[in-house]
Amino acid sequence: MTPLLQIDDLTIAYRLADGSGFQAIRDYSLTMAPGEIVGIVGQSGAGKSTIGKAVLGLMGENATIEAGRIRLSGHDITRARDVEAIRGRKVGYIYQNPMTALNPVLTIGEQLLESIVTHTGRRGAAARAYAVELLEQAEVPQAAERLSKYPHQLSGGLCQRIVFAIAICARPALLIADEPTTALDVTVQKAVLATLERMARKEGIGILLITHDMGVVAQMCDRVQVLRRGELVEEGATRQLLLHPAAAYTRQLMAAIPPMDRRLDRFDVIERQADSPGRERGIAYLRTARDGFAPSGSALLSVRGLSKTYPAPPRSGQDAFVALKDVSFDVRAGEVLGIVGESGSGKSTIGRCILGLQQPDAGAAITFRGRSLQPGRRDRAALARSLQCIFQDPYSSLNPRMSAAVNMTYALVAHGLVAARDARRLAGDLLEVVQLPRDAAGKMPHAFSGGERQRIGIARALAFRPELIFCDEPTSALDVTVQAEVLNLMKDLREMLGLTLVFVSHDLAVVRQMCDRVLVMSKGEIVEAGAADEVLLRPRHAYTRDLLASMPRMAET
Amino acid sequence: MASFIIRRIGQSAVLLFIMSLLVFVGMYMVSDPVAVLAGDDFTAADREALARSLGLDRPLPLQYLAFLGNVLTGDFGQSYVYNRPVLDLIFERLPATLEMVCLAMVLGVAIGIPLGIWSGLNRRHPATRAVSFATTVGYSIPNFWQALLLILVFSVWLRWLPASGRGDTVPLLGAGWSFLTIDGLRHMLLPAANLAVAIVCMQTRLTRSGTEEVMFQDYMMFARSKGIPRWRLVNRHLLRNILIPIVTITGLELGALIAFSTVTETVFSWPGIGKLLLDSIYRSDRPVVVAYMILITVMFVAINLVVDILYALLDPRIRYS
Repeated sequence: MTPLLQIDDLTIAYRLADGSGFQAIRDYSLTMAPGEIVGIVGQSGAGKSTIGKAVLGLMGENATIEAGRIRLSGHDITRARDVEAIRGRKVGYIYQNPMTALNPVLTIGEQLLESIVTHTGRRGAAARAYAVELLEQAEVPQAAERLSKYPHQLSGGLCQRIVFAIAICARPALLIADEPTTALDVTVQKAVLATLERMARKEGIGILLITHDMGVVAQMCDRVQVLRRGELVEEGATRQLLLHPAAAYTRQLMAAIPPMDRRLDRFDVIERQADSPGRERGIAYLRTARDGFAPSGSALLSVRGLSKTYPAPPRSGQDAFVALKDVSFDVRAGEVLGIVGESGSGKSTIGRCILGLQQPDAGAAITFRGRSLQPGRRDRAALARSLQCIFQDPYSSLNPRMSAAVNMTYALVAHGLVAARDARRLAGDLLEVVQLPRDAAGKMPHAFSGGERQRIGIARALAFRPELIFCDEPTSALDVTVQAEVLNLMKDLREMLGLTLVFVSHDLAVVRQMCDRVLVMSKGEIVEAGAADEVLLRPRHAYTRDLLASMPRMAET
Repeated sequence: MASFIIRRIGQSAVLLFIMSLLVFVGMYMVSDPVAVLAGDDFTAADREALARSLGLDRPLPLQYLAFLGNVLTGDFGQSYVYNRPVLDLIFERLPATLEMVCLAMVLGVAIGIPLGIWSGLNRRHPATRAVSFATTVGYSIPNFWQALLLILVFSVWLRWLPASGRGDTVPLLGAGWSFLTIDGLRHMLLPAANLAVAIVCMQTRLTRSGTEEVMFQDYMMFARSKGIPRWRLVNRHLLRNILIPIVTITGLELGALIAFSTVTETVFSWPGIGKLLLDSIYRSDRPVVVAYMILITVMFVAINLVVDILYALLDPRIRYS
């Protein structure tokens, strides 16, 4: 039987701005049978997406195929001229982020119909009927009505289903799915993957699934390849590879995945560990002033009757949106309180209300060490020092025009807590505390990787010596191994400094690893609260059970 | 949308009031119509009589209130110099400017946008570098010098096009228009081209940078992966997304050109309103200047309103409430 996709000894190089070349893919080979689902896993930068784009000839203009051949059902499609004929027709592409894959200014209908008209020859009413049929296959509810909608009017899950419909409209033999569910909520992710798999199996469509998520691989793939820095590390049947990885790198990758069934002291990843005078000085700095902190176990922050309503636009006919409804909880000094829930459940809104970035509805009482946190109060500035935040997106949470050092210390200097001439040394010390080299202080944010930026973000929050840090999905934008490193760092810091953290995450396994107690949020309400072990292992509420059941898991493979 | 338009009109009324006040007070401070209009042989009594006849002997607030009252009844007053209603003067001259500017705009957009898209899509093509250089130069050439150059080449050396005047006009809607006759169009071509050079350069650069930016968006990558024809990729997916900045700048340029293409009109002796404004400022013809500025403000407000409405039509994510 002719393989569906055969890639032989592929080498792809990018020409860099300084004229040198960089081989993103080296001697890579893959053979895929028709109808097979093959996963490619690896960290970001491993070259996974480059392979997918190379098959479709969609690499950037500075990338060239230096060696190797790509054949689809026996036909050579290595050259750009040959590949154009198969795009959309023989090979469909599913883009990572469904919210950005669809053109924002064109209707769903136009974007689906243009593919149908191009590839199937159907016109007018026949094309429309087929469009509705495709949307129904992709399990889009009220399919006919969606055609006149724009992408921003639909949820991410729906957008991804529409992308599926577009990708399969010409009944291609192969789908390339590049991180198809990374941008989606866990419960949505499960359903969307199930639809994708159902469509592919029914039509006998092969899928090349590019992902960093081992859970997704376990759920979907027949075979899996592990990629590292452009080279194939290991390849095998999914179950075999996940349960008995042969390569050291694969084992390391597996060790970085937060397990659900037990709590680790630390993740087993290789780290730089060096004690230096600067690091010790930094830790000493962070420890001082802690004597005045609330005794461990006492209620540090208490939230009572917190609601937040966003009024509907006037005359829009919509109802006001209730982001939070009567939420009450305590944070005890020294604990890590997890808040879990899907996007839109109100997790981040809690943080914004606590930090004073948003005004809650009347009637809410937020007290910190017995003092009320009200906007406009004179001691707000003092309280702001005690409450800090670590943000979700390390790419946008650092000021791109300030060096790492200035990013960490400018607010400290503005508050008058540190003299400007001491700020540079403190920044160096703090960098060492978060295990970055101190001479990185002068570099600009763009020179750092995502994980390094998040370390800078952590250092910035710590610099105030706050009593409570609100961590808003601090690792959700990071690779699994980088996440493991950052989580290890946070565990270490918490142990050394006795930090009190409110840890928001949609990833239950991460919460399991990090948190003492956990609140489960759904639609602005707390549906379940308790000790993390209790709630996550023996959930009482149906929603928590749903959330747990939606997690892609390997243990079942 | 309706409430947005109504609100915008309300804001415009305030804007117009402030504008009229600024222009009125400004003109009062910088010019003395009596000094310009009076002959050398005027006695002090003659001057006083002249001031009284023009209503200039009253204190400024009263003058302004009288002016405001007249405007509200649609009367912008009489020109001191021509002794005719100001609005007649302006509307006589306006068509000349309008048609010249519109031709320039059409030329600019029709050349600039395709050129910009092409160079945005072919970033490494040698011609793109040439386009980039040419548009920088074209945008930097002083307008009057470029006008002289055009006259030298096309009127003096090649003798293809006339260098000044409007040519034959055809009456339409109570005004004379040049664009309806061949001779009129021939006269219009050079002044319009003189304005169009800067527009072409601006539109090309704007379109090119928009194209380069949009081509890297995820949705363009996804659209390419769909295997749809290239013209669809460019005309629907690309163009719709780069039009918003282009519409903004086109609107602003249109307004600016109608109001202030004085230099071009002067060099080509094109009898438009820009020349009228300049003459009126020199002669301290206060009613003309004030009425002109108010009309220009109205025009800018109208253009901006149209631009805002176009935004909402171009981008479904924009909704006014």
